[in-house]
Amino acid sequence: MGSNRYMLFFTPDLINEPITYRMVKDFDLMINILRAEIDDTGGRLMIAFEGSPQQIKSALKYLTDNKVQIKELNEYVHKDADRCTDCGMCVSVCPVSAFVVDRGTWKIIFNSDKCIACGMCIDACPPGAMKLGQ
Amino acid sequence: MGLKRTVEEINARIKKGDAVVMTAEEAIDLVKKDGLEKATEQVDVVTTGTFGAMCSSGAFINFGHSEPPIKMSKVFLNDVPAYGGIAAVDAYIGATEESSNGRHDYGGAHVIEDLIAGRPVKLKATSKGTDCYPRKEIETFITLKTVNQAYLFNPRNMYQNYAVATNSSDRTLFTYMGKLLPNMKNATYSSSGQLSPLLKDPKLRTIGIGTRIFLGGAQGYVSWEGTQYKTNVPMRNGVPSASARTLAVIGDMKQMSTEYIRALYMNRYGISLAVGIGVPIPVIDEDIMRTCALTDEELFAPVVDYALQSRNRRPIQEVSYAELRSGTINVKGKKVKTSSLSSYYKARQIAIELKRQIMEKEFLLTQFVQAMPEERAIRPLDVRSREEVL
Repeated sequence: MGSNRYMLFFTPDLINEPITYRMVKDFDLMINILRAEIDDTGGRLMIAFEGSPQQIKSALKYLTDNKVQIKELNEYVHKDADRCTDCGMCVSVCPVSAFVVDRGTWKIIFNSDKCIACGMCIDACPPGAMKLGQ
Repeated sequence: MGLKRTVEEINARIKKGDAVVMTAEEAIDLVKKDGLEKATEQVDVVTTGTFGAMCSSGAFINFGHSEPPIKMSKVFLNDVPAYGGIAAVDAYIGATEESSNGRHDYGGAHVIEDLIAGRPVKLKATSKGTDCYPRKEIETFITLKTVNQAYLFNPRNMYQNYAVATNSSDRTLFTYMGKLLPNMKNATYSSSGQLSPLLKDPKLRTIGIGTRIFLGGAQGYVSWEGTQYKTNVPMRNGVPSASARTLAVIGDMKQMSTEYIRALYMNRYGISLAVGIGVPIPVIDEDIMRTCALTDEELFAPVVDYALQSRNRRPIQEVSYAELRSGTINVKGKKVKTSSLSSYYKARQIAIELKRQIMEKEFLLTQFVQAMPEERAIRPLDVRSREEVL
């Protein structure tokens, strides 16, 4: 079993389609919706999959076949190591504890695999080291 | 009391290459291992460090004279207003000044960082024009290389201890202590604790006007007592357990590095400047060694609720720096996640770098020329009539 986080982008014409429902049903996936939003540019769904690599692969293929754009969340937020001063402001604002203090070096470690791209760290980071990925 | 040393003796040992220099962390370990008396005999200097947001900072710059010359009155650096009411081509850029072009996340601190990084900065100035200074406006670019002088002159740095901020209200607060989540979901603190300069010499027995310090990568000096300097505060283990003394410091920006000076933007609050400072503490006797070896377990700070928008915020309780650094503190039975606003990593780097400089004879200690006030109470600002202030 693996867990994978993705941001799914739906163009406005796809918003009314029950794509996520079909994906869950047809591929027997466990999902956790981390964030969902719709505006005039379309919809964005942040989602974590749990299932075998094969199940997830098939689900992703199903989504691309239905013109849903997919982005791995690991790339969504990144830390600019030059800008980071290792203060630790991010540590207590992150809702999923993706930042930890290395108690030997006192450097701040960002575990991007835990990140749910909520953006809380971006506006909390005083030197501006946390950025949205491309 | 046993052994006594003078700064002069320590400097002689530094010059001979015999001085034993340790960071505050190393001194803690040594005192634990060998005891206070032996450690005092062994160590000549303890180095300290801090790297945190120090809003009360800024830089004096002398731009040089243009042809024809101008007496600058309104001065802008990368569109950030600087104070030009000093002579003709001097200005003071305050760290917290915000850009005049509507950008909230760029200000005086960023101009200072840009200059130290060697990046060109746009200078714009206007004037009424006089017979001796006929020019009425100028727009040009400067760098640290083109200006005559550029030095940080920070009125209040290096707070001796500082309150821990939390928020009991039901909305997020955006403060100079960072983002404070509702219902005490987090707490932020801002001292390097056992590495912090003024916690290691709590009565400033070795630090005064003229003390040479590590400032932003340069060798700077303590120039005066810091604004809001106070001594009438609660004490724990002989050390203030609330914000107390502060120092005004000065140093040449041309010698500084962005490793140790960094612009900060506190979202929906404003601009600040992270300043890296290291102070060498001469081990003049056992008592100074005792305070140099105080640990995070023995140093305390008050927890303050920023939900109360008043200067009379009473501390909820005191917590040790060891608890703060553990990642959670217990406030009224509730586990609260903590964040440091100052970088312990950088504080340690500064203490290590200062130790290196002393051992390589690049940095000599100073005997201050004037001690700081022994007692000082802080005054509030009230709205008073002309008669009431007499």
